[in-house]
Amino acid sequence: MPHTRRRQQHPGPLWRLLSSAGFRFALLFAVVFLAAGLAFAGVLWWGTAGTLERQTDSAIRADAMALAERGRDSGLAVLAEAVEERLALDAEGLSIYLLLDPSGRRLAGNLAALPPPRSGDSSWYRLNVEHEDTGPGEARLLVLDLPDGSKLAVGREVSEKGRLRALLTEGLAWAAGAALFFALLGAWLMRRALERRLTPAATTAALIAGGDLSQRVPLSLHDDEFDRLGASMNAMLDRIAHLMDGVRGVSDAIAHDLRTPIARARNGLEEALLSEADDPATLRGAIERGIADLDNVTRVFQAVLRIAEVEAGARRAAFAPLDLSLLLADAAELYGASAEARGQTLNTLWPESLPLVGDRDLLLQVVANLLDNAVKFTAPHGTIVLSAWREADWVVVRVADEGPGLSAQDRTRVGERFFRADSARTTPGSGLGLSLVRAVVQLHGGALWFEDAGGPPGQPGLAVLFRLPVAA
Amino acid sequence: MLLRLSWLLALLLAALPARGAELRLLPPGLAYCDELAARFSRLPGARQDAARGLAAEGGRLCEAGHARAGVARLRRALRAAQGAPRLARSAHP
Repeated sequence: MPHTRRRQQHPGPLWRLLSSAGFRFALLFAVVFLAAGLAFAGVLWWGTAGTLERQTDSAIRADAMALAERGRDSGLAVLAEAVEERLALDAEGLSIYLLLDPSGRRLAGNLAALPPPRSGDSSWYRLNVEHEDTGPGEARLLVLDLPDGSKLAVGREVSEKGRLRALLTEGLAWAAGAALFFALLGAWLMRRALERRLTPAATTAALIAGGDLSQRVPLSLHDDEFDRLGASMNAMLDRIAHLMDGVRGVSDAIAHDLRTPIARARNGLEEALLSEADDPATLRGAIERGIADLDNVTRVFQAVLRIAEVEAGARRAAFAPLDLSLLLADAAELYGASAEARGQTLNTLWPESLPLVGDRDLLLQVVANLLDNAVKFTAPHGTIVLSAWREADWVVVRVADEGPGLSAQDRTRVGERFFRADSARTTPGSGLGLSLVRAVVQLHGGALWFEDAGGPPGQPGLAVLFRLPVAA
Repeated sequence: MLLRLSWLLALLLAALPARGAELRLLPPGLAYCDELAARFSRLPGARQDAARGLAAEGGRLCEAGHARAGVARLRRALRAAQGAPRLARSAHP
């Protein structure tokens, strides 16, 4: 089927890079690598800077709650004294306090004023604190509304922690940069490696597309996925080459085998036309011989077409349960007469019933072809044996003759279309009978093989055996 | 994928703490030095030599105009005089 969808051609190198599978795999690798780096940085941040902030907030909350409780129990004056005492003992100068009475008057603390209220319920603030005599700093502040309407602010300067956080941020930024660099480097290396491993297959495919079918994908010693892909491609190419050789051989054989009967028919007709005899019987005889020759040609074509049909598996739908014993009996009856006419003896032996699933017509054709060959190659007064038996899940059929037999070399080629052994050149036939047998047996999931029939040297005979599964 | 990554980065940046409003801390003055000195003198441990030395040095720094350094010395003197700075330590993580 022709490809109707054509690939759009984009000549730009950037498009080629973006559209390459290697680049996409590499990009996926880089994104996964960066995501892993981000997750790592997040966990690191949560475990360090995040922990410091949570500890600071926890200490502020505990101090504020303790002061608020004291204020509730003992009054604002005691609370103010507690605030001043905390400030007095803060040698590091990191504490921030402010206590305002309900009217907003400052009672204690070192903060000039509360931060402006914000929308929402949050009472936490992150502030920049301005010292009059030193530089700015950063602070966390919690503002509580006490039950009597006064306000208490408790906070800590976190400039040191902020500096630590900045250091951590800087470190993570450098690490992210390095991770990005290595992700891109890894992506580039991965893309190059993929490209390098795929290049032999692509080059071979291009050469084959150019018409050189002898090319094969070179395989490395890695035995990885690419080598397995290359091996599969090579197996496919071998199969295609084998099939093409077969097609070529069949074409040659058809041309060679049909030339003779067609030429003979033509010559006969031409001879009758040119002859000066007006005898209708002579003319009729020439025409009948021509028709017989052309019928032979037609039979060859029908046999070739039938083999192709069987090999394509189109007949599988006609499979049905059958008894092979009855089928063998029919074939034996048909060819028993032929054998008898030549003074041959046909011995038969099979069990009463041999049930299996298959195409009755095709199987009858198989047995008939084998018996026909046996009758043809067995000398007059010879013996032919047709036998069958059950063997585990198989039914085995054997047809043995007393003919010249087949050499080991010929046995490997005997299923090819139009193949005829040298010893059979003088015997009528097209060389298609055993091709059909092999195709039908394979269609049924069985196997075909040859053995010597046990005759004397020089005339060993041939035993053709095939087996069929009981449940095809 | 890249769009999703940029969204994540934007979310991360939005989650970072924003710089808040600026507030002013009251500068420690001479009056605060006097207040800390008075608080020190009321403590039973004020007679310890180390604490007394720190307090005196703090006072001198305050009078010399270095109120912040003087306040820091006086606060250390107070902690030394108290003996056990558990309260202050509990207030500072």
